[in-house]
Amino acid sequence: MAAPLTTVPTVPPGRASRRASRPSTQHQRFNTRAGRAFDVVNVVLLVAVGLLALLPFLYVLAGSFATELEITTRPFFLWPRDFTTDSYASILSSDAFVRAFVTTVVVTLVGTLVQLALTALMAYPLSKVDLPGRRTIMTVVVFTMVFSAGMIPTFLVVKQLGLLDSYWALILPMAINPFSLIIIKNFFQQLPQELEESAKIDGAHELQILRHVVIPLSKPVLATFALFYAVGIWNDYMSPLLYLNDQDMWTLQMFLRQVTASASLSAQDMGAELPPPAQGIKFAVVIVATIPVLLAYPFLQKHFAKGMLIGSVKG
Amino acid sequence: MRTRRLAPLALLAVGSLALAACGSGGGDGGDGGGGGEALDSLSIMAPYFSATPPEDDDPVGAKLSELAGLDLDMQWVPNAEYGDRTNVVLAGDEIPDVMVIQQKSQGFVQTAEAGGFWDLTEYLASGDYPNLVTENPDVQQASSVNGKVYGVYRARDVVRTSITIRKDWLKNLGLEEPTNTDELMALAKAFTEDDPDGNGKDDTYGMIIPAWGASIGTGSPYDAIETWFGAGNVWKDEGGQLIPSFTTPEWKQALDYEKQLIENGYVNKDYATMDGSTQWNEPFLNGKGGIIIDVQSRASQLAGLFKEKDPKTYDQFVALQGNIAGPNGDFALPTPGYSGFLAVPKASVQTEEQLKQVLTALNELSSTEGQVLENNGIEGDNFTVEDGFAVNDESKQDYTDLVSGSWAQIGTNVAGYEAYKPKPETEYDAELEQERVDLQAKDLEKAVFNPGAALVSETYMTNGVQLDQVIADARIQYISGQIDEAGLDAAIAQWKSSGGDAVTAEMNELYGQLG
Amino acid sequence: MTAVVDVEQAGTPAPAAPPAPRRPHRGWARVVRYRWLLVMMLPGILYFLLFRIWPMWGAQIAFKNYVPFLGIQGSEWVGWHHFQEFFSNPDFPRLLGNTLILAALSLFVAFPLTIVLALLLNEVRLSVLKRTVQTLVYIPHFLSWTVVVSLTALLFAIGTGPLSSFLDGLTGTETNYLADPDWFRPLILLQTIWKSTGWGTIIFLAALASVDQEQYEAAVIDGAGRWQRTWHITLPAIRPTIIVMLILQTGEILNTGFEQIYLMSNALNRTVADVFDTYVYFTGIQQGAYSYSTAVGLSKAIVGLVLIFGTNWLAKRFNQQGIF
Repeated sequence: MAAPLTTVPTVPPGRASRRASRPSTQHQRFNTRAGRAFDVVNVVLLVAVGLLALLPFLYVLAGSFATELEITTRPFFLWPRDFTTDSYASILSSDAFVRAFVTTVVVTLVGTLVQLALTALMAYPLSKVDLPGRRTIMTVVVFTMVFSAGMIPTFLVVKQLGLLDSYWALILPMAINPFSLIIIKNFFQQLPQELEESAKIDGAHELQILRHVVIPLSKPVLATFALFYAVGIWNDYMSPLLYLNDQDMWTLQMFLRQVTASASLSAQDMGAELPPPAQGIKFAVVIVATIPVLLAYPFLQKHFAKGMLIGSVKG
Repeated sequence: MRTRRLAPLALLAVGSLALAACGSGGGDGGDGGGGGEALDSLSIMAPYFSATPPEDDDPVGAKLSELAGLDLDMQWVPNAEYGDRTNVVLAGDEIPDVMVIQQKSQGFVQTAEAGGFWDLTEYLASGDYPNLVTENPDVQQASSVNGKVYGVYRARDVVRTSITIRKDWLKNLGLEEPTNTDELMALAKAFTEDDPDGNGKDDTYGMIIPAWGASIGTGSPYDAIETWFGAGNVWKDEGGQLIPSFTTPEWKQALDYEKQLIENGYVNKDYATMDGSTQWNEPFLNGKGGIIIDVQSRASQLAGLFKEKDPKTYDQFVALQGNIAGPNGDFALPTPGYSGFLAVPKASVQTEEQLKQVLTALNELSSTEGQVLENNGIEGDNFTVEDGFAVNDESKQDYTDLVSGSWAQIGTNVAGYEAYKPKPETEYDAELEQERVDLQAKDLEKAVFNPGAALVSETYMTNGVQLDQVIADARIQYISGQIDEAGLDAAIAQWKSSGGDAVTAEMNELYGQLG
Repeated sequence: MTAVVDVEQAGTPAPAAPPAPRRPHRGWARVVRYRWLLVMMLPGILYFLLFRIWPMWGAQIAFKNYVPFLGIQGSEWVGWHHFQEFFSNPDFPRLLGNTLILAALSLFVAFPLTIVLALLLNEVRLSVLKRTVQTLVYIPHFLSWTVVVSLTALLFAIGTGPLSSFLDGLTGTETNYLADPDWFRPLILLQTIWKSTGWGTIIFLAALASVDQEQYEAAVIDGAGRWQRTWHITLPAIRPTIIVMLILQTGEILNTGFEQIYLMSNALNRTVADVFDTYVYFTGIQQGAYSYSTAVGLSKAIVGLVLIFGTNWLAKRFNQQGIF
């Protein structure tokens, strides 16, 4: 693994090196023989890793279209013998599901925006080393990261604030994740100060600097945490359980959790003669819960790829 | 000029907090409690098992409200999260009029003992509410907290333990259903060694046992065998004293029997890790294993899967046998006979008049009419009655499932189950159902009830799960050969020293008080 | 106005400019100078006060015998009782050992792998492929532990699973890997790597996306090879992120997570599988014993806090940007 630390060029001779030594573009700069060999190995490796990540998901997908008998009798398959959409029909048939789906999408979108805005607004001032009170605030933030008061005290506060049976109860109690706050703050801190300073000399207001200098430069990290927050809200089943009495307001996870959790942690219910939820339905639930978040990803991904365009900001 | 563009951002942030601050100010006390005046609605918190809970305008709900004489205000909670929700509700101040309590958890017992729930013992005994008078006083006693009945229990079949056997394998080998543990061992051996499927290959084994939670007395195959051997049921009364069943010699004898099953390879090799909720049926269906000790409904579930495979021959694979005799006598392992109970919190139901109102409503909900609504649905709509059985309308099966997964959860049926059973589709289904009923009657006579079921020991309340785990783990470690008899004794000694002795002492004190 | 140079900015890729002497701003002057930034922070501060600090008064139940019905105020004080019970537990050393070993495996094996995967992804030039693989490796993050554990059971099923058969072939004996105490930790690590490595790369990729492409161009002109570019440009660029993630991870050292371990543990591997999180579940949460679980949570938080401050101090000592 030891990488040569020397700055002497180690490019092997040959046509490749000649090409590489020309003023290069993205596509030319690694075209050495070793470079190409690495590329091949790397691509093969990453494709393998990708497949490894994908296969189990495909199994779940196949299972969600299979009959109960097939799931019970065949250990692993990627294509169901008897194709059926019964599992999806039994999930999607109810109005409650459709309503919950819409609710969840809206709450997730609004919530992500609110949470990200609050986090960025707090992270930016904290990225200034000289800010009065910074150390105290950071200590508190770190403490709240390692210790949360627990379910019941938080419930009592949310209730006190009159947030019960309000969608804000799904958004505000988790509005600023201390972990996200710290990472975002550190990214802000790493930005070149000169840009901010020159904006200041041009007479820009702090909010304007945040909006027009800092945020554009931090798009990748903000997109990342948008995804984190969105996934957090999307997967949250505890908040709706605790804070929403009105079942018309419930989010998707309240229903999905019912199907997936009942078989694992409380399998041995000695009560009613109810068969556990069918495996196929559980698989379908996993798919329904996962696909929308996976689909959201490419939309955010374009912000990762570009990198920061310092030039354009300067201009 | 550019400030205008960041206005929404700021507005969003500030606005969200403003919204938070005003929120919903005036929404307190949804239920009818308040002062001492009569209730005008009945709020009930209950778990549901169906995919979604019933909607607010559910027809069964409307009919039940009519029947109860009070508007039912249901608070449905997904079953998986019911425990958490219960504790949070108890901590808040919007407590429903009636709560389904699923288990005598520390939170519930402490609340009850602090006076948070009505003691219903006298009210239920008075006979004023005939549908709430138990047909099985043992079960009601078991559901109590040290003799005090805090809720109307939700009745379940008392006998469910049974042995499900591959019928075709029995036939191939010319064997009979086992009637005692020796014959069961012999059957397991034959299923393993004598090629019961006749394919000439050594690819079968006898008994299918899944991994079980680290608990004892929860109806596992091990628990059943131990009871058959005469080790009692969790606790055993010996000369008026309660002793833990795992300190009896019969328990060790049973463990050696289990160990023999494992050592000889009569059991699936992954007995310590197999996921019972998803994989238990698979070896039976695929003809790898032939014996399952579990609840009776396992047999009908398996028959249903065989039917899906081939409706013509499905009646040839599943045989059902009940509890069998052991070397020390003939015993049967019963269930607790109930699954939680409906309790009435004092925070919302404050006066005796209100309590009587609640009990009157519950009495109506437990009437025959109420039970049919809760368990079957609406006659003429989602089901019809034929020969005293319910025939479900297939096009409305989703609704039938919804009803049995939700409304059935507020049914108590303590005075007897009066709703319709589903009509068996075929003669074989009817046979299986009849066999089940017969076995229940036969096994009830020899059922060994847990003498300590009603008793709540304080030490057990705090340490019980840990203590049970010590024994449950030692059991598996012993039969797997990971520890020897000395190791087993050490585990029992550890149980005693880390709180078990205190539990035994407390249980006996309460046992003495209860008489 | 003079630029305020951030002296903590040792992590920037460019060679650190000699720090300009920091002009001392004291007291009120500093507040005035930063007034708009302070105003900007108000919603966040309000959030922490309302939803993070206010509920903390409820943490007093760690010193009480909390009964939900009696309320936090009404429950009886028991002092350090719950803490004593936790620390004097005969199993405590074993729980601590098991917890630390699993934490170490995740810190020293799973965490570096995340960085390696991020670097490898960064080297892919074909952007379609890069994006596809990136999306694929996130998928496991969204599958619940229940699904992951049942897939593990499938792969390692005794005698029949593809991986267990393979391993049996190597060793020549048939083993139930799911029940073998020696295999518990490798399996947990394998699952953790499978489920979280891809997702973990996301933060590093965000950091890598911020690296100025011009630096690579310049390095190529200087004739730097791939390793050199990785070593001298890429790694320094994400070093601050790596350090912050490391610091934050040490604070989580006692949190192994509950569900995965609970689902993977059984009677035969419990000696190595018991960790604080499962223990608290069995003794506290499952029985609704909130006081006890709060006491354990508080103890763990204090350890986490000490570790975070400690590693942060160490990072500063080595002239790295800490989390403060």
